[in-house]
Amino acid sequence: MIVAEVKPMAEIQDTIKKYSKVLISGCGSCVTVCLSGGAQQVEVLASSLRTAAKSQGQQLEVGQETQLRQCDPMFIEQIRDKAAGYEAILSMGCGAGVQTMAETLGNIPVYPALDTVFFGGADGQGGFMETCAACGQCILSRTGGICPVARCAKSLTDGPCGGAQAGNCEVSKDTRCAWQLIYVRLVRLGQVHLLKETTPPKARRVHPARLNRAE
Amino acid sequence: MKINAMPPCQAKCPIHMDVQGYVAAIARGDVQEADRIIRRTNPFPSVCGRICTRECESVCRRGKSVDEPVAIRALKRFASDSASVGSEVPGPETRFSEKVCIVGAGPAGLTAAHDLALMGYHVTVYESEDEPGGMLTRGIPRYRLPLDLVRSEVDRIRSLGVEIKTGYMLGRDISLQDLQKDFDAVFLGMGSEKSTCPECSGMELSGVWTAVEFLKDVSRGKKFNPGNKVIVIGGGHTAIDAARTCLRLGAKDVTIAYRRTIDEMPAGMDEVEDAREEGVRFEFLTAPEAFEGSGKVEKMRCVRMDLDKSCGGKGKLTCVEDSAFEMEADTIILATGYAPRTEAVQELCTEGGDRLEIKDAAGSTRTPGVFAGGDFVSGPTTVVQAIASGRKAADAVHRYLRGMDQSPEEQEKVLEDLDDDVARLVPEAGRQKPVCLNPGSRVHSFDEVEHVFTPEQARAEEARCLHCSLGAHVSQDCAVCLNCVLVCPYNVPRPGEEKAVIDMSQCQACGICAGQCPASAIDLRLESRTELRQNIRRVLEKAESSSHGEFNFAYVCDFSKFRPGDVQGENVYTINRPGLGRIDVYELLVPFEAGAREVLVSGCGEDDCKFKDCSLWTRRNVQKAARILESIGMDPERLKIVEG
Repeated sequence: MIVAEVKPMAEIQDTIKKYSKVLISGCGSCVTVCLSGGAQQVEVLASSLRTAAKSQGQQLEVGQETQLRQCDPMFIEQIRDKAAGYEAILSMGCGAGVQTMAETLGNIPVYPALDTVFFGGADGQGGFMETCAACGQCILSRTGGICPVARCAKSLTDGPCGGAQAGNCEVSKDTRCAWQLIYVRLVRLGQVHLLKETTPPKARRVHPARLNRAE
Repeated sequence: MKINAMPPCQAKCPIHMDVQGYVAAIARGDVQEADRIIRRTNPFPSVCGRICTRECESVCRRGKSVDEPVAIRALKRFASDSASVGSEVPGPETRFSEKVCIVGAGPAGLTAAHDLALMGYHVTVYESEDEPGGMLTRGIPRYRLPLDLVRSEVDRIRSLGVEIKTGYMLGRDISLQDLQKDFDAVFLGMGSEKSTCPECSGMELSGVWTAVEFLKDVSRGKKFNPGNKVIVIGGGHTAIDAARTCLRLGAKDVTIAYRRTIDEMPAGMDEVEDAREEGVRFEFLTAPEAFEGSGKVEKMRCVRMDLDKSCGGKGKLTCVEDSAFEMEADTIILATGYAPRTEAVQELCTEGGDRLEIKDAAGSTRTPGVFAGGDFVSGPTTVVQAIASGRKAADAVHRYLRGMDQSPEEQEKVLEDLDDDVARLVPEAGRQKPVCLNPGSRVHSFDEVEHVFTPEQARAEEARCLHCSLGAHVSQDCAVCLNCVLVCPYNVPRPGEEKAVIDMSQCQACGICAGQCPASAIDLRLESRTELRQNIRRVLEKAESSSHGEFNFAYVCDFSKFRPGDVQGENVYTINRPGLGRIDVYELLVPFEAGAREVLVSGCGEDDCKFKDCSLWTRRNVQKAARILESIGMDPERLKIVEG
């Protein structure tokens, strides 16, 4: 899942300050699951912006809409007519959603209301943790299912840096050392020998990556 | 409220009373609406609020799984006693030309008359006694059911256009044949008032009474001196009523003799307890053999019984050899059974028998257009059973007159029991008990023994309802984030194949999951989001238009001790809600959008809240909304939470 968080209110307000008619568009997929850009967040942001504008004596009309998946042009097409009635769109989708919307609608400016922060999974109620860096060359088969690229502060792929204390990362005391976790997991799986294997250097990713599954 | 499975209270009630509906209305402080809901299916709320046998309470899921059942009957009485007298009775939408005759103005007949009048029929009721009401006016003692209440309910039925003719007895003053000529349909609901007496010698002695005759005479105001020692024979409601009535008439020593044990008594245990408190004694496993005396009864000769419960049912009774003994008595009252008087309708009875031949559940008799019901068919039952029978009869008569098929008998789907794992997480709350007159003093008068709930008691008691089946449901908008699984204090939601699944039979309707659902995909049957938002919009529009922009707004929990009127201050506009857990951040912010100066959230607090963790989630939502206010340059102190 793509995890995102709502931008600071001041930044959002600054982004749309020159408009008087804005449509907030949420996404019903990843950002709903990570409690950032679903239907509920859309109406909270809409109400907040209207309240702020009213308290400052400004005219601001805020519409709201949530698509099932903002990163697909076919869902964006469904709101084309509605979007035409607004000066700007504030997307509560991830970065991919914002771009798909901007690309599809073309002549209406689309601004992000979220910061897309990582790929990750659920970590208790309201919590999410980065677990994947989308590096394109997965080594989880050799690391006990724990990704050092995403979870090691230094993204080391061939063992720990040595700076960990009591199993915690030297960069952040709140973070477990990924290589400590990998070691414990491999012991439990009876696969410690995998640590002897070295990881070949990763090919540098060329952006933007493309994938065609139709062939 | 349309639901897929009935809560047990409603399913068990013979008239399927919308208990949750009126309890929720009481919670909102709307007793008029509560009374209206009750009257949709029951024309005798004040009666059932006092003497109903409370089958609903016997199956209440709070009683079965958590602590004690909700005091449903007492809440019904609270609603009916608190609703203003003479609240409007809606007239029929259609008028039919057919005339219907009801014989017998007891609860079954009067209910049938009430329902048929509301359907648009002209209804005439014939009653053999000089006052309508049946056992309600001449069987139930005044200390349990004040006469003026029954009269008031009967007057409401009259006000629908029902004509009640008293002093007309079928077979004496009118005949079934004449009624069939004059009316398009007939309903026979003459009750079950013929006493069936044990075969004892001495029945002719003065001082030996049947309970029905005795209670009828007392209710008519006849002076009656039972003497010091009274024996009442029987174990049902009527036996208890007769015994307690004798105490009020001056008897010093009243004993109920019952041939079985307390476990088999048809009377309710609370009635037995009330009688005991007043000094009534009980002789179980005791059966009469003879009443003796010279002209007037002086004693009862009786034997001890042995009850073999191993053979099932109520068990097998045998006399214990050489166990005869005597009990002194100035009055003996027989409350041993009742049967309908069928002499006037012999043509409808089984061959050679004295029982009516009933062809179907609708109460159709052998003769088309003649229906029967209530105790007249079933033998003595309860007032709510009689009302149910009257309702069924009205439907049957209507279908007959309109040429429609009779309703098939439907088996209601009933909500399953509460799981132990859920039940143990439901906060316990003691059942409220209505204040009763002191046993020592109440036996000197016919004043009503039980008082109505105070508003505080009603508030505490309505909050005990578990809102069975009115909990959360998940729409197709579910993003399967499973936040509901994580926030539910009762661990009810589960991950499903396509969306989260919330078991209706286990959900407690606290609304926390709805308030935390990021897709706004969870809603409550107890009060839908649409209803809530409309309510908020309506109140905010009113506030904006009548306060010139200077107003405060408050959310008040229905189950807290606060009421909307308790929120002090000028220009305060309130919304009362069944629980605060489902108030989401948007709903906390939207009053500010409308221009509210301050928003107050008023609930019980963690220790007193009926919902587990509701207070915690409410506070979290308030904190989130306050942070948003701060982020847009508004004082977060303008949003306050008050608990306690």
